Amino acid sequence: MRKFNQLVQNEWLKISKKRSFTVPYALLVLMVFVIGYIVHTVAGADTYASAAEFTADSLLPTGIGQVLVILVIVGIAGIVSKEYSQGTIKFLLIRARSRTAILASKYVTVLLYSLSMLLIATIALFVSGMIFFGLSGGDSGLSDILTSLLYSSVYCIVYATIGFMLGILTRSTGVTIGATIFATTIDKIIIYRDFYKYFLFPNLNLAAYKDGGAPMPGMTLNFSIVLLCIYMALFLLAGFAVFRRRDVA
Amino acid sequence: MNSSTRNQGLSGPMKEETVLEMQGVSKVIKGKAIVDNLSFDIRRGEIIGLLGPNGAGKTTTIRMMTGLIRMSRGDVLIHGHSIRKDFKRAISQIGAIIENPEFYPHMTGYDNLKQYLRMSDGAGESRIDEVVALVGLQEAMDKKVKAYSLGMRQRLGIAQALLHSPKLLILDEPTNGLDPAGIREMRDYMRTIAEVEGIAILISSHMLAEIEQICHRAVVIQNGKLVTVTQLAEAPEARSEVALTIRVDNAGNARTVAEALQGVEVTGTDEAHSELHVSLPDGNVPELVAALSEAKVGVYRITENKQSLEDDFLKWTGGNRIA
Repeated sequence: MRKFNQLVQNEWLKISKKRSFTVPYALLVLMVFVIGYIVHTVAGADTYASAAEFTADSLLPTGIGQVLVILVIVGIAGIVSKEYSQGTIKFLLIRARSRTAILASKYVTVLLYSLSMLLIATIALFVSGMIFFGLSGGDSGLSDILTSLLYSSVYCIVYATIGFMLGILTRSTGVTIGATIFATTIDKIIIYRDFYKYFLFPNLNLAAYKDGGAPMPGMTLNFSIVLLCIYMALFLLAGFAVFRRRDVA
Repeated sequence: MNSSTRNQGLSGPMKEETVLEMQGVSKVIKGKAIVDNLSFDIRRGEIIGLLGPNGAGKTTTIRMMTGLIRMSRGDVLIHGHSIRKDFKRAISQIGAIIENPEFYPHMTGYDNLKQYLRMSDGAGESRIDEVVALVGLQEAMDKKVKAYSLGMRQRLGIAQALLHSPKLLILDEPTNGLDPAGIREMRDYMRTIAEVEGIAILISSHMLAEIEQICHRAVVIQNGKLVTVTQLAEAPEARSEVALTIRVDNAGNARTVAEALQGVEVTGTDEAHSELHVSLPDGNVPELVAALSEAKVGVYRITENKQSLEDDFLKWTGGNRIA
């Protein structure tokens, strides 16, 4: 386990030692405050009853969650492909560590990065909400914030996994970023045919089930969760299988 | 004649333990054998050159040894551990630089080495200082790698390869892009590493002079096939016949003297340069010199006509056809 932790530490250092490492965090915080300010001045101070309501609402995949996903993808798209383009993959793979362990440490780093961004977004939203909408009032509380955080985490981690897999398959940072961001822009489109519920996109935003709703008729929360698990497993399986077998030429 | 004494192949004079064993390794891509049934071995403390024209399969061979590329057939054993079935044990005995040494440019030399230290078992942080001192890179460890020259990156590459105290060092074109001073320095490192630490070194190159200068043996491949394994650092007793060119004041007189001696074969004279070409057993050389001075033939120079590795190489590989 210690060996694996050291691999994760390596991966985390590789991304955190970049000079641009703090830029996505700063952008995220800046945006949260701009949104708070705009809602406060344009829509009025009584749009949200409290900081908790503002946070719970804005954190959803339909709110700041969407921007967050794009920032996360840009941040992690190169985690595998950069090793190839920089040529560092040769030194990386001639160590006494299996390719599976090396790739798993990269995936864990992707998850950690995603969670750190989600956490920063949540804190920034709450602080911004405190400033613009105050602490008290309304019936929203911590549980609403955590529920929103959960919906957003699922959305973010599925996309991070897609980006992770594409990075392995294409070995191109640009293609990975482009394809994944394109997917985030079209995933809200719903085709009203029965087969479409088996696609990934309508199942991504679990917040649609809030208050007894459903993205499409005939879909349930459990159905979506099972489907998401199957898709994630397929993405990871494809990524690991290719990475393990590929000749480094 | 010459090549028969060189082609001692696998039965060299040293009987050290085997570090690397190539067992009929092949790589077939789309029905074409890039490397075809290659077998040879490397012993402890030995410097081996892997020679071949461009496209002979040198890099593919090295990538198979290090597990970067799967082999289609055969196996590579490192200290008895198979790189296919026991990758972690086998690879922990290998340090390698494959093509150019590439590091994370936004990190310092020290941070880069720490990355590799965290991925190896049993080496402590003090090992970094040891290898850095060996390659003389102490001053640059706090600089980012993107500010390094190619020579510095090569040195950092060696430091990286030696970090986990391997038994076999694999260097793919190690002097590519180095200036003459850098090449010489590299040669000195490699000698030190092989002699002091007893590490076997495999060097792939097409720079023949370089291989000739530092390697004990050379493995020559072409079109992925083994052409020959040749001994380079020959023991003196191994060669019975020597070919000499003797520059004298009177070639005619010298010829008469030489022909009178037993075992000496005069292969020609060059009147314009006053040179005499002879071929004789190694032990008869002092006798010939004595006879020449007794006959008052002035001797200016005696040079041995060594067939260079380059001549051999071109003979083996049939010129510079690229496969």
